Amino acid sequence: MIEFTLWDILRNLLLATRWTILLSLVSFVGGGIVGLVVMFMRISANKAVATAARAYIELFQGTPLLMQLFLAFFGLALLGMTVPAWLAAGLALILWTASFLAEIWRGCVEAIAKGQWEASASLGMGRIQQLRYVILPQALRIAIPPTVGFSVQVVKGTALTSIIGFVELTKAGTAVTNATFQPFTVYGLVALIYFALCWPLSRTSQVLERKLNVAHHNH
Amino acid sequence: MGYQLNFGWLPQYLPVLIDGIGVTIYLMAVGAVLGCLLGTVCAWTRALGPNWARPVVVAYVELIRNTPFMIQLFFIFFGLPSLGVQMSELEAATLAMIVNLGAYSCEIIRAGIQATPRGQFEAGASLAMTPFETFYHVVLIPALQRIWPALSSQIVIVMLGSAVVSQIAAQDLSYAANFIQSRNFRAFETYIVSTLIYLVLSILLRQVLAGIGWALFPKRKAAR
Amino acid sequence: MHRRSFITLATLVAATIGLAVPAQADALADIEARGTIKIAVPQDFPPFGSVGTDLQPVGYDIDMAELIAEKLGVELELVPVTSANRIPYLQTGMVDLVISSLGKNPEREAVIDFSDAYAPFFNGVFGPDTVTVAAIEDLGGYTLGVTRGSVEDLELTELVGDDVTIQRYEDNNGTISSFLSGQVELIATGNVVAAAILERNPPIRPELKFLVKNSPCYIGMNKDEPELMAAVNAIIADAKADGALEAISMEWLEQPLPADL
Repeated sequence: MIEFTLWDILRNLLLATRWTILLSLVSFVGGGIVGLVVMFMRISANKAVATAARAYIELFQGTPLLMQLFLAFFGLALLGMTVPAWLAAGLALILWTASFLAEIWRGCVEAIAKGQWEASASLGMGRIQQLRYVILPQALRIAIPPTVGFSVQVVKGTALTSIIGFVELTKAGTAVTNATFQPFTVYGLVALIYFALCWPLSRTSQVLERKLNVAHHNH
Repeated sequence: MGYQLNFGWLPQYLPVLIDGIGVTIYLMAVGAVLGCLLGTVCAWTRALGPNWARPVVVAYVELIRNTPFMIQLFFIFFGLPSLGVQMSELEAATLAMIVNLGAYSCEIIRAGIQATPRGQFEAGASLAMTPFETFYHVVLIPALQRIWPALSSQIVIVMLGSAVVSQIAAQDLSYAANFIQSRNFRAFETYIVSTLIYLVLSILLRQVLAGIGWALFPKRKAAR
Repeated sequence: MHRRSFITLATLVAATIGLAVPAQADALADIEARGTIKIAVPQDFPPFGSVGTDLQPVGYDIDMAELIAEKLGVELELVPVTSANRIPYLQTGMVDLVISSLGKNPEREAVIDFSDAYAPFFNGVFGPDTVTVAAIEDLGGYTLGVTRGSVEDLELTELVGDDVTIQRYEDNNGTISSFLSGQVELIATGNVVAAAILERNPPIRPELKFLVKNSPCYIGMNKDEPELMAAVNAIIADAKADGALEAISMEWLEQPLPADL
């Protein structure tokens, strides 16, 4: 057996954490953009468009992310489209993240009182104008805390990319554990690193929630 | 050569899949009910409980929410025995589900409780309700109604996340899928089948949760 | 709601029907034209494949992969895989060979082809002194931990009676953790793995109870690749004759090759 020092373990985990961070950023930013489009489709007045968005959300929220990654990589290859692993991982994570963000943001838009829509309509605003000037600015404020909160799920979700060959934090932890047979040391460190990545996000989300809520009540 | 999908193995392994589905439903049902109960108790503690207990709840919630489920599971199953707590893989998986959902539902329910105007507590007290009655009627039920969609989503997420319990040999649906594909090497077919089953389960679960929501908050819905 | 769910399902089903990869040319010719052979190896199954301190794969399977690449005169590209994805890597043409201590059974042979045996598997049932078993027949009533899909899993599932509970873990670490934490009474694993655990003086000691029938491992490749099969089998035969395989076995398994391999 190969001997790992504590530093060897930690060094490898930290190197793999780079992938966790990169994948998280890509999926969060990309998922935000796609999620915004899906959210607009979801609240569209056009029935067919709204139904398509609902089906999309149901599909990506209703199946395990692990299987989405598997099918994005191996399924596409089986269809004759060989995509690099980073592309498949990015794509699947973006689509998965988008399905959740779209639903979170729809909730925020719908939380804006009906009277606001009616009032802005009475001012002769079209739907786009209503969204642009009345609804979205208010929805944005209540959307920020749950959005930041969801980023924690994205960070943890990247762990599943090991199914298509990524050696990110969790996978590196598993590989090192299987070489060292010191699961408590290795997984303890893995948990600590995840906590260090996620806790600031959770905390920010809570602080924002309190601040924005207070501002909201003062209106 | 070309690879053709082949589902001929399905009848042979159907019992394995059905057993797996049974365990997944069991984990989901017990995890959801007890997890939400734990979450409610924690949310109550954070909002109205004794001062000393609040930091404990905060620490528990933050610890669980910010670390991966797989590692929580691992410490419960392989770590607790060193403290003298030995349990079967199914018990450990169930406990991990409860602990995990407890933390998330605590946060969700707490958010709902915080949105309850302060005056409601006082109104409840003035009606000579006990603190528990006030909490249940005035705080909890309206809070639950407010956050029911968020709680439902979280329950579905936890159900799908339960796939990880196969790591400790709990024989759920993903264990069944991995078992089958380790025998017949038909990974594509096996994973396609298990993905479809998860999709059906999550659709059914959403329907059940919507139905429960409907049953729990009938009058209030009508009043809105 | 129901209709929407149905549409979602129907779309998914439609998307998964009628898949077929384009017919490949001769795999061996491809490898030679490319100048690179891509080989799937484990990184969570010592001593066949685990990681070194630089997180690169090392082990019996990796040495075997290096030997094959060298003899074919091509570059080697190692692809670390898990038991869940090693066959999809092969079926989609992303690797040419799977060297991952594969055992064979008729079901597996219907899906991929296997080379001649390239490695022995010295695995046994291990447990603490307090458990007295000396043969498969004594296992009744005990709970046994194995690594899912491994050679010992396939063997023991065939051999043991209904009164033995087999717990199948994701990887060797799961199997060993289950034993060390007392979740299972006995484990089946490689002798080298058990020896490595014993070196650490754990509170529960995995002592050898008996050896499971030696069942060799094979190299996996896609079906209907006679040229590649012939080339791989020739390399294995040469390696057995010239002692190269013996050296790999001594290094990783600390045992000479059995005569019947």
